[in-house]
Amino acid sequence: MPESNHEPIISIQGLEMNYGGKQVLKGINLDVYEGQIIGYIGPNGAGKSTTVKIMLGLIKGYSGRVRIFGKEISDGEVEYKARIGYVPEIAEMYDSLTAQEYLTFVGELYGLERRLADHKAQRLMEQFGLEEVYFNRISSLSKGMRQKVLLISSLLHNPDILFLDEPLSGLDANSVMVVKEMLASLAAEGKTIFYSSHIMEVVEKISSRIVLLNEGNVVADGSFEQLQEQLHEGTLEEIFTELTGYHEHKDTAARIVSIVKEVQR
Amino acid sequence: MNDFKTLIVLDRCKALFEKAGMDYVQMRRILQIKLTMDGRRAPTLIGKTSRSADPDELSNQFLKSLWIYAVMGAVMTPFVVRGHNLIFQMSIVFGILMFMITTSLISDFSSVLLDVRDHTILGSKPVNAKTINMAKAIHIMIYLFFITGSITAAPLVGVLFRHGIVFFLIFVLEIVLMDLLIVAITALLYWLVLRFFDGEKLKDIINYVQIGLTMVMAVGYQLIARVFNLVDLQIGYEAQWWHVFLFPVWFAAPFEWLFGGYRGEAIIVFSLLSVLLPLLAVWIYVRMIPSFEANLRKLSTQTSRKKGRGGRWPDVLGRWICRSREERVFFRFALGMIRKERDYKLKVYPSLGLSLIFPFIFMFNTFNSGSSWEEIRSGNSYLFMYFCAVMIPSAVMMLQYTSTPKGAWIFNTVPLRNHEPVYKGTLKACIAQLILPIFVMESIIFTVIFGVRILPDLLVILIMTLLYTVISFRLMGLEMPFTEPAQAGTQSGRAGLMLLLFLILGAMAGLHFALRFSTYGVYVLMAVALIANIAAWKLAFRNL
Repeated sequence: MPESNHEPIISIQGLEMNYGGKQVLKGINLDVYEGQIIGYIGPNGAGKSTTVKIMLGLIKGYSGRVRIFGKEISDGEVEYKARIGYVPEIAEMYDSLTAQEYLTFVGELYGLERRLADHKAQRLMEQFGLEEVYFNRISSLSKGMRQKVLLISSLLHNPDILFLDEPLSGLDANSVMVVKEMLASLAAEGKTIFYSSHIMEVVEKISSRIVLLNEGNVVADGSFEQLQEQLHEGTLEEIFTELTGYHEHKDTAARIVSIVKEVQR
Repeated sequence: MNDFKTLIVLDRCKALFEKAGMDYVQMRRILQIKLTMDGRRAPTLIGKTSRSADPDELSNQFLKSLWIYAVMGAVMTPFVVRGHNLIFQMSIVFGILMFMITTSLISDFSSVLLDVRDHTILGSKPVNAKTINMAKAIHIMIYLFFITGSITAAPLVGVLFRHGIVFFLIFVLEIVLMDLLIVAITALLYWLVLRFFDGEKLKDIINYVQIGLTMVMAVGYQLIARVFNLVDLQIGYEAQWWHVFLFPVWFAAPFEWLFGGYRGEAIIVFSLLSVLLPLLAVWIYVRMIPSFEANLRKLSTQTSRKKGRGGRWPDVLGRWICRSREERVFFRFALGMIRKERDYKLKVYPSLGLSLIFPFIFMFNTFNSGSSWEEIRSGNSYLFMYFCAVMIPSAVMMLQYTSTPKGAWIFNTVPLRNHEPVYKGTLKACIAQLILPIFVMESIIFTVIFGVRILPDLLVILIMTLLYTVISFRLMGLEMPFTEPAQAGTQSGRAGLMLLLFLILGAMAGLHFALRFSTYGVYVLMAVALIANIAAWKLAFRNL
């Protein structure tokens, strides 16, 4: 746990959540400090998205304490959201709108002046190489372009915390480099980034701290180097499979291949 | 994006909303976005429009559809200005109103009630729940205002001139109460469906309502002329206990109470119900919003399904009617698409329903023109069954369209030597799933009416129908099945071809009619049609 003498920006204590009789989160404890890039990883269904959605106030009915910017979020106040940017896993947008309409709309909801939101969105689109499609409908954009629009929509209001769920999906290698570099710079500026992904190589490289979730519990928490040391494993991928107790990948692969080969010509 | 006049009107109430704890600026912005998106969505009544078209060009689709509602609403005017049987007339008016508004709410506005994106997009922003809910409520109110307004415009004017201002105001009040009841009941219905089923089921139900709406509108045109005769009927009203279950009667009751002659206790009870129940329904709905929102999440989550029904049936059927293995593959594929593609169903099923009814409409016309029931039974009216085949060309043509044209890459990546089995299998699936069931259903009804003597004729009609299907297919010159994006005007763009096909069908029926007089004519025709059929099925799929 990184030592710090100031207040955590996010503080989660004993967070539990039930979904239709199934316990998805079984008591998460987590303190996050300014400037950290948290790699928030875990197998499908481990509860990553649920945690993020609880912090955004999208899911209610949890038990435990969630404090963001030093304030309890369960009191119904929504002001704290103005300092948060969010990229959901599924690129949900109003896609019959043009990129301009959507981005100015989101900017305004975050409290920006319309002209400023428009101007800022247009310049960000330019930097992402999307100036051509600023006035096109989002439904006509490719997967990578949509992802970039989504990224821009989370950045317009200069948030202090970023929740990014698989933010690089569909982006080409060059854009991935840009986004990775951008995240590092933002963290250096003191922004906090909560990064969920299944691509271990990226998480390994950009995260200053890795939190591994399995079946609703935090099973590892620390920098990549610390985890390497603790577990005597080389890569994050190996750490991941070690901690989530999955050792059958070779057997499963072998079974798949044998099923594939069954076809007769 | 334009500034909507509706919002400028709304601006006057700004202080009111702010006093109630809502962020008016944000709410207005959300509404502006929602109205913009509505403009880009084509209502069911108009049909789908090209997706790539310029945003501004499309933005008035909704306003255009209002004209259709206004015209349909005008039909009700006679009910409110003529006659003296208030409870009866007003019940019919409210019945029609409730039907039209409910169906259009379900078919065109479900996407608003059920938009799961709102939760993620708006919920993650600093907008309080009150503002979001109010924006949603006002959005629905704006929509209802326009729809109800245009449907009731003509009747309202009629009422104002015929019955005076008090009657008019009560009419307005009852219409508003009816709208409240409709919204609350629709929402509660969704809540129920979502509670027990998953989102896919709800989408299917909405799809069937859309199909129903389109069908009833089309049949409605046929019936309107007949309904007018009802207006002048003098039926004494006698309240029955089961009238409690007829919503329209509640809303009609106050008029009878205040302006009509009948003043029984039942009328007073109904009148009170028409005021209290809508309010009660809204109260229940408001209390259930949180539970509704929670169930909405089901729309985006997948629940695992049990193995689908009728898993064996396509296999067996495929083995019977498809010779090659490839053909069977596409037969099964097309069968699945026809059953599940909601867009296809929405476009084809209404005309299927119509073709089921068509023969009877014509038969009843003969009935009305003076022939007796006995005359009809011993006559040739069974040849009206050819009208069933009227829908075949559009059903066949629609086979090439899909709402997900991007999936078509699969056809180009699999090793297909020629495309014959693709088309043949698809066409056979269309026959097995759509044309044959209609034919069988109709045949049973016709045999009951006309007796077994028409069985040979029915067989001829079946063979002719199959021949007609393959002719339609060949003349259309289809693209690969389920590969083209559905676009507006696709049907009207082929008006000439459709007319030609209609004439061909007419010629077939004419031939049948002419040969029916000779003793063996029907059997000769059967043999000829059979040979033509075999030849056509052999030839139609060449060079594809």
